[in-house]
Amino acid sequence: MPHTETHHERPTLVQLRDVHLSFGSNKVLKGVDLNVRQGDAVSIIGPSGSGKSTILRCINGLLAPERGEIVVGNTPVHALKTEADRIALRKRIGFVFQQYNLFPHLSVLENIVIAPTRILGTDRQTAEREARELLARVRLSDKADAYPGQLSGGQQQRVAIARALAMHPELVLFDEVTSALDPETVGEVLAVIRELVQDGLTCILVTHEMRFAEEVSHEIVFTEGGEIVEHGTPQTIFHAPRNPRTHGFINALRN
Amino acid sequence: MIESLLNAFIAAAKIIGLNYSFLLSAYERGPWLEGIGITIGLALLSIVSSLLVGIVVASLLTSGKPWLANPTRAFVELTRNTPTLVQLYCAFFVLNMLINQAVGGAQNNPLSAFAWVVIVLSLHYGAIHAEALRAGIEAVPKVTRESALSLGFSRSESLRYVELPLAMRFALPSLVNNLVNLVKSTALGSAIAVGEVTYASLMIWTQRDNVLELMIFIFLVYGILTLLVARAGSWLETHLRMPGYGH
Ligand SMILES: Nc1ncnc2c1ncn2[C@@H]1O[C@H](COP(=O)(O)OP(=O)(O)O)[C@@H](O)[C@H]1O
Ligand SMILES: [Mg+2]
Repeated sequence: MPHTETHHERPTLVQLRDVHLSFGSNKVLKGVDLNVRQGDAVSIIGPSGSGKSTILRCINGLLAPERGEIVVGNTPVHALKTEADRIALRKRIGFVFQQYNLFPHLSVLENIVIAPTRILGTDRQTAEREARELLARVRLSDKADAYPGQLSGGQQQRVAIARALAMHPELVLFDEVTSALDPETVGEVLAVIRELVQDGLTCILVTHEMRFAEEVSHEIVFTEGGEIVEHGTPQTIFHAPRNPRTHGFINALRN
Repeated sequence: MIESLLNAFIAAAKIIGLNYSFLLSAYERGPWLEGIGITIGLALLSIVSSLLVGIVVASLLTSGKPWLANPTRAFVELTRNTPTLVQLYCAFFVLNMLINQAVGGAQNNPLSAFAWVVIVLSLHYGAIHAEALRAGIEAVPKVTRESALSLGFSRSESLRYVELPLAMRFALPSLVNNLVNLVKSTALGSAIAVGEVTYASLMIWTQRDNVLELMIFIFLVYGILTLLVARAGSWLETHLRMPGYGH
C-alpha cells in the first residue's frame, strides 16, 4: 500500500460538508462529507446511480449543491457566483471522463495545447514542448499528429489524461475512466494513473476496478443512495468493512 | 485577335439561328460584362457577410439567455417566412426612404441599391445559415462542452474553439446548399435596378429581340458560379474531414 509516514500530516485539499443536491424531485446527494488530503488518491466506489459522478461535478463547479459546503484549497466552491470564479477553479482541477471527450476536429497535439495556450496564455513553443513531454509520459509520443478518431479507446483516454495534466492541475478527478474501454486496454490507462498517484498528484477516482482501487488508494469511500456509507483504508473497506451494506457490495462484486 | 474570335463566334451562332450581334456594340457589351462583375461582387460580399450573420445569430440562439435568444428567434422566423423579394422592397422603398428623409436627401445617403441587396441577402441567408448552425451546435454532444468547460474554457470560448468548429462541419452540406441559393438570389437585384447580369440582359433584350440568346448566357453565368460554390464546398468538406470520426 502506498501509505507514507507523512500521510496524516498533509493538509486537506478538498473538503465536502453535508452536500445536498437534487434533480427535480430526485434527491441525488443527501448530505455527503468527504475529505481529501493533498497528495492522496481517494477512490469512490458504489453502485451505479449512487451519485458518484454528481459528487465530482460538484467539486469542479459544473453543478452547484443546494446545501452544504465544498472547499478546494482556499476556494469556497459552493459560494462561487460568477463564471470567472468558476473558470479560475476549473483551471486548477483536471477532469477525465468515461467517454474521453477529446475534441475530434483537433489532432492529439492540438487537443493538449489548446487549453494552455488559449486559457493560460502559455506561448505556443512552451505548450508544445510540454505536450510532447506529456505524450511521452503516457507513452503516445508517436501519436502527436493522429486524430482522436484514429486511436483506440485506451489511447484516447491517455490523451485525455495528458490534456488534463497540461493545465498543471493541483487535483484530478477521474470518472470511471476505464469503464468504456476494451479489457485489453484497461491496463495501459491504469498504469498511467498509478504513476501519477506515485508522483504525488492528488486524485479522486470513481472506479469499478476494485483491485486497482485497493492497490493505489490511500482511502476508499463507499457511496450508496446519495450517502457516504463508509470510508476508510483499502484494508478496512475491502477486507473488514464495518457496515453491512459495504460488505454486501464488496461481496457481490467478488462473486 | 479577340475581335476576330468574336466575329467567328457570332457567325457560327448565326448558322443555328442565334443573334449575338450585341456583342459587337461596345455600348451594349460594356454594361453587360459589368453586370457579370456586379453579380460576382454581390455574391461574394453576401456570402461572407451572410456567414458572419449566421454565426452571430446561431450564437445568440444557443446562448441559453432568453432575453437574447427570444428576439433573435423572432427575427429568424420573420426572415424565413417572408419572401426575399418583399424584404428587398421593404428595405429599399421603406427603410431607404426613411434614411433619405433623416439625412436630408438621397445624395447624403451612403447606402446604394447595391448595398441594400447585400444587406438583405446577408440577413436573409444569415438567418437560414443560423438554423443550420444551431442544429449543428445541438448535435455537439453535451459531454464535449462539459469537457471544454472543465478545462477552464468560458461558455463563449467553448463555443468558439470547440462547438462552432464542430457545428460548422455538421452544417457544411446545408450551408453550401444555402450559398448556392444565395448566388441565384442575387438576380433579385434587378427588381431595384441594380445592374447585375440579369438586369443588364433585360436592358439589352428590350432593345433587341434576343431573349433566347441572353437566356443561354444567363444560365451559363449562374451555372458556373453555383458550380464554383459547390466545388468550394466539397473542397472544404474534404479539407475539414475529421479522420476516423463517424463516417
Ligand atoms: N443532469 C442530470 N439531470 C437529471 N438527473 C441526473 C443528472 N445527472 C445525474 N442524474 C441522476 O442522478 C443520479 C445519480 O447520478 P450519477 O451521479 O451519475 O451516479 P453514478 O455516477 O454514481 O452512477 C441518477 O439517478 C441519475 O439519473
Ligand atoms: Mg457515473
